[in-house]
Amino acid sequence: MADYDVTVIGAGPAGLAAALAADEKGKRVLLVERAARMGGILNQCIHDGFGLLRFGERLSGCEYASRYVRMVEAAGIETTLLTFVTRVEKKDGVFHITLVTKDGVRTVTSTALVLSTGCRERTAKQVGIHGTRPAGVYTAGTAQYYINILGEQPAKRVVILGSGDIGLIMARRLTLEGAEVLGVFEAKSTPSGLTRNIAQCLDDFGIPLHVSHTVTRVFGDARLEAVEISEVDEKMQPIPGTAQKIDCDTLILSVGLIPENELAETLGVTLDPRAKGPVCDQNYETLVDGVFVCGNALHVNDLVDYVSESGASAGAAAADYSGKARELAELTADGGFLYAVPERLDTAGDLSKTVVFFRSREVREKSQVSVSVNGETVFTKKYQRLKPPEMERIEVDLSRVKPGDRVTLELREA
Amino acid sequence: MNVKKINRRLQKNGFAAFSVHETEDGLVLTGKSDNWDEIVNAGFCAAKKYGRTHVINDCVFTGDAIPPIRAPKLVDKAIDGMKPDVLVIGGGVVGAATARELMRQKLDVLVVEKEYDLAIGASGRNDGCVHPGIDLLPGCEKHYYNVRGNRMFDQLAKDLDIEFDRCGQTVVFDSKKLLPLAPLIKLYFKCMGLGNVRVMTEKKLKAFEPALRDGMKLGLFFPTGGVVCPYNLTIALGENAAQNGAKFSFDTVVTGMETQGGKITAVHTNRGTVYPRAVVNAAGVFTEDVAKMAGDRFFSIHPRKGTNTILDHKTVSMVRTSYSLISELKEEGHSKGGGIIRTVDQNVLVGPDAFETYKKEDFTTEAKNVAAVFQKQGRATERLRQSDAITYFSGVRAATFEEDFIVEKGRKCANIVHAAGIQSPGLTAAPAIAVALAKMCGEILTAQGKKAEKNPDFDPHRQGIPRLAKLPDAERAAYIEKNPAYGEIVCRCEEISRGEIVDALHRPIPCVTVDGVKKRCRPGMGRCQGGFCGPQVAKIISEECNIPLEAVRKAGEGSELLFGKTKGGAENG
Repeated sequence: MADYDVTVIGAGPAGLAAALAADEKGKRVLLVERAARMGGILNQCIHDGFGLLRFGERLSGCEYASRYVRMVEAAGIETTLLTFVTRVEKKDGVFHITLVTKDGVRTVTSTALVLSTGCRERTAKQVGIHGTRPAGVYTAGTAQYYINILGEQPAKRVVILGSGDIGLIMARRLTLEGAEVLGVFEAKSTPSGLTRNIAQCLDDFGIPLHVSHTVTRVFGDARLEAVEISEVDEKMQPIPGTAQKIDCDTLILSVGLIPENELAETLGVTLDPRAKGPVCDQNYETLVDGVFVCGNALHVNDLVDYVSESGASAGAAAADYSGKARELAELTADGGFLYAVPERLDTAGDLSKTVVFFRSREVREKSQVSVSVNGETVFTKKYQRLKPPEMERIEVDLSRVKPGDRVTLELREA
Repeated sequence: MNVKKINRRLQKNGFAAFSVHETEDGLVLTGKSDNWDEIVNAGFCAAKKYGRTHVINDCVFTGDAIPPIRAPKLVDKAIDGMKPDVLVIGGGVVGAATARELMRQKLDVLVVEKEYDLAIGASGRNDGCVHPGIDLLPGCEKHYYNVRGNRMFDQLAKDLDIEFDRCGQTVVFDSKKLLPLAPLIKLYFKCMGLGNVRVMTEKKLKAFEPALRDGMKLGLFFPTGGVVCPYNLTIALGENAAQNGAKFSFDTVVTGMETQGGKITAVHTNRGTVYPRAVVNAAGVFTEDVAKMAGDRFFSIHPRKGTNTILDHKTVSMVRTSYSLISELKEEGHSKGGGIIRTVDQNVLVGPDAFETYKKEDFTTEAKNVAAVFQKQGRATERLRQSDAITYFSGVRAATFEEDFIVEKGRKCANIVHAAGIQSPGLTAAPAIAVALAKMCGEILTAQGKKAEKNPDFDPHRQGIPRLAKLPDAERAAYIEKNPAYGEIVCRCEEISRGEIVDALHRPIPCVTVDGVKKRCRPGMGRCQGGFCGPQVAKIISEECNIPLEAVRKAGEGSELLFGKTKGGAENG
């Protein structure tokens, strides 16, 4: 018998919810966290807006996390902090997980595995920023860590590239700490962050947002001295002759998040190039039996409430994991979607309340989302407006789906 | 030296605005242009490849102001009045290796480096290849030192406890032209001392390097090739020199020299004046400037920039050894043209390219150069994708117009030795160059009446920082039992523990900066590029070295990461 029924890797909001859900089913659960405390990135999110759906309140990230941490502690779930997973292997249907801690190296076994490993930020090099390599170029999350965790000011005169939510939050945070935010520049023609963040973090503080602009070069040998900003065309390529130099000491990047699935990949999990996370079914089970995935490791969410929801579902499903064969059908989202999850439906399982998360590829007015099975429409929903930064959630009864059925998600004008 | 002939050649090749004249120093090229490439090409036109009379570039470049040397602002008297037997100028691989070689004798050695750490110039900005010397012919200095240096690497890596992989090097041809010559090629390289070169036709080649594109006609595998981490090597050499008594002074730039009767009597720096008996000129792109200070400028350096890209670990299966494609398409330039290399840290390195520049320290990168390298190297494998890049960097080679190394005693200055023009395969050659330079220094000192005396305490061994992630579980556990900090992972991408980071801060040559730690034990070298571990590394530096967080630097002077406490941070102390 394995040491644990369910091992959850990562104690951010997804992992906390997953561990709780598995524990509620009376299973032996191990929750593994590499940091010194649970909560993940929420611990550095001192702004509010968390928990509206889950708790019906506006909480800070830290408050939201601490509620879950208290629940996990109250439930007496076994947790191991400052613990790093170096290896996971599946042998004879059981997962062997090697853990490194201050106490040494040990291997535990588990029947099911929940990967709640979160995501990481795209870096300056990954978005092709060239020029020199000075100090003062930070991702938004790094800057947030410096300010909110270490209490240190990383910037005085700031340019922010990318209008992702963390970038917007940091524009406000840096301003409150006395830095001058010269502007937020976004290569796309529309903002990447939530509308409410643009209003509350930029508009309220008079910080300009320049869409269709990007940073094409950085200057300065020791510390950043200036950035070059260029206008970009529809293909996001810089337009010659539009370059302008802006003096600043800090460049903050909020240019996208990438689900962290390096561990999943070592297990042979298939990734969805659109969602950038593992392909999974409605129970968040990946294509490797017994490996479940949730939260931002699955796809990047904009609300923590949805992260917790997917965590709870994955945790419950992992607790129920019996190794029984699945009978999978494909759920395909058409080109109008940036992505949709899940990508598979286990017809041997319950499909009556299948939750589908999706984002549209572009900003669209008056649209209709429909789900059809073998060409027959079984669900429709109308939207006044859809935009990529805002994830949508639908719940569909797909009980009728049989293995081999063609299930499609379609987006049309309404 | 037929100056007339050279001038006619310049005329004929479109360099009418240039001319040479012979002086006792060498062949002086004069002329004027606003186009740097034109000046460089005139230099090439005037020079004889591998020749021992060098082109000295006195041309006037009107296109831009040539930037001054990047010198530290610091001024103090830290080394003032020191009288080392040997002063080594430059903390690159040659300077560090030479300092180590010199310590085999009972000598007082001082290394000055203008940057904040070792290997900040070309030594830390190259592809790490230990070359077999495929295109080098006997007779040139490059061949001499490459052959000898290459042979030294196995022992050196063992002594210095650094990773070295003699994985071999593969050259791939997409043309059939060389196929009939295959048996001769094998024999040729055998005679050249490159060992048992494997000649592979299409099918065998594909089995050998499966990620190569179809249609590669011929592959040559050179078993004596290898890879090393170039800054790790340089740091290890420096550390071992320091352990054996060599002194290192960083942020120290040579500003001038006093000479008397063809001898250097004093060397001025921003940190005081030193009075060495002998001087090693290992100043990389600035060797010409140092030679000039010594009244011994008989060559010129024309900087040549190259950019390399590092790919995510995930891509490492695209190359087993390292390969570069020689295509039928005509290629210009003086570089092999780069390749796809599996580094000792299991990343893929792509590059470098080669561009002439008048800026000796232009370490910037350009999107178009990276794209061009990917396009070129992508002809060898379809698996190469720019989206897998995690970082890119540029270095500047110190090339002479003769494209050969200069490893010799001063021609007019009696107590200097030069290591100039050390570009590829300089990393491979460095250990052998160091042996030669140390010998020359010994001769200079003997001539001054200082008897050579072996250093009985010299220990060639240096112990590196343990790399926990590479150890078997049981060994790793044993380390953690001794020091629990080895069990606390700080850098998730490269799996580096707090213990390793703390170790990096307490080395024979400590470098208390984020980049210094990064080069010594790799936190921040992975796919998140220090996004997660950067602040934690800064905090460990602050705690371990007892300096305020806002004084922690990324790299050299003026690269502090932070501006001080936040409003709330100040309240909370």
